[in-house]
Amino acid sequence: MNRAGAGAAFRATLKRDLLISVKRRNDILNPFMFFVIVVSLFPIGISPESAMLRQIAAGVIWIAVLLASMLSMDSLYRSDYEDGSLEQLLLSSQPLYLLVFAKNIAHWLVSGLPVILVSPLLAYMLALPAEGYVTLVLSLLLGTPVVGMLGSIAVALTVGLGSRGLILAVITVPMSVPVLIFGTLAVQNSLAGGSPLGYLALLGAMLAAAVSLAPVATAAALRISLN
Amino acid sequence: MSGRWQWFHRLGSPKWFYEKTTRWLPWLVGAMALFLAVGIVWALLFLPPDYQQGHTSRILVVHVAVAGTSLSFFPLMAVAGTVTLVWRIKLADMVAKNAAPLGAWFTFLTLATGSIWGSVSWGTWWEWTDSRLVSMLFQLFLLLGVISLRTAIENAETAARACALLSIVGCINVVIIKYSVDWWNTLHQPSSPISMEVGSPNGPEFWVATAVMIVAVYLFLAVSLILTTRNEILQREDKAQWVRELVAQAR
Repeated sequence: MNRAGAGAAFRATLKRDLLISVKRRNDILNPFMFFVIVVSLFPIGISPESAMLRQIAAGVIWIAVLLASMLSMDSLYRSDYEDGSLEQLLLSSQPLYLLVFAKNIAHWLVSGLPVILVSPLLAYMLALPAEGYVTLVLSLLLGTPVVGMLGSIAVALTVGLGSRGLILAVITVPMSVPVLIFGTLAVQNSLAGGSPLGYLALLGAMLAAAVSLAPVATAAALRISLN
Repeated sequence: MSGRWQWFHRLGSPKWFYEKTTRWLPWLVGAMALFLAVGIVWALLFLPPDYQQGHTSRILVVHVAVAGTSLSFFPLMAVAGTVTLVWRIKLADMVAKNAAPLGAWFTFLTLATGSIWGSVSWGTWWEWTDSRLVSMLFQLFLLLGVISLRTAIENAETAARACALLSIVGCINVVIIKYSVDWWNTLHQPSSPISMEVGSPNGPEFWVATAVMIVAVYLFLAVSLILTTRNEILQREDKAQWVRELVAQAR
């Protein structure tokens, strides 16, 4: 009974969060637009020369993804906190790990995935050479969920605060540095003709660690924030 | 409560801590002054100039000691955080709260002394290709994150537990950051092996001076942490009878 209940609760949370996001398109669209705008600032600010752009393309996209996910993260638990449904989640008899994990997946599907889908186009505009695209998309697929789950801990810790936009980034961005390092190293390595598999494997290891540990920390953080 | 755990809970009593440290402090301060004096005088006056680096090698005595000490802050805060979360001992949080700014300050000093040394030895004040500089910088950012979380949360109890959790996560993260930044090429001097021969690049005259300085800096850390924690105790326990009596005596 309880077993089936946990699965059902997982699916229900996932479905509910996806539905809410579809109805509140602005929360998804603004970070997405922010991502596109930030990327298009770099050629203007640094150099329009494609020789220069191709060197920085992977890094620019990765950094813009990081910044955009900081923006979208803010909506992760806020409305649930404000309307009280977060407390209901904590009071529910189902494991909080699964519910938090479902919320993370839903959030990644609506905020991470669109950014990844549009990244090859932006990479093309930044003159990324052809060898880089597959690795870029793969590194983003493996890396962005890690950033999202790390951010989820910080969001949970600050969910009760009035103004928290910047503190979230101050906490999360330094923690995401390893993901940025291996994401960009993977792309640079495949541009240099090497195999990016080692770096992608490291990103995969981080993802495995994040999936198993981060929701535990997020659940603990939610319990602290809501007492 | 079983007798085996009594010492642990007594250790967590602010009053016990305050009384014990009143007795320890003179000794700790004395030892700190002694080691600092020996270390600084040795490094500045008696250490022979390095055959390559000249007199700038003297700053390494301080730099190595401060750098080593600044690495202990996240483990310290993570342990204190675990005690806060599991046993809810207030004293652990008082230590953790004051450890964060101290750690940020030590990390900054590490970066500053390293950068001054680097400006002469490497010819540059900052070098991104050096992995230790970069991971120290991110340790500083993480510590500042913990401090700003502490100031952002008004409720002291919530702030204590939130910072405890963030310190544990941060402690794991610092290790991951360190190893990922290490993948970069590095300019930094690999740690020189210790040598027993006088006059060799890392001979006893250098590493003994550094060892004295490391002890001195750890003592300095202990003294600062105890002093700030004692202040914190007086502030938070200002309703307690023994604190009132103490304040009345002081007046």
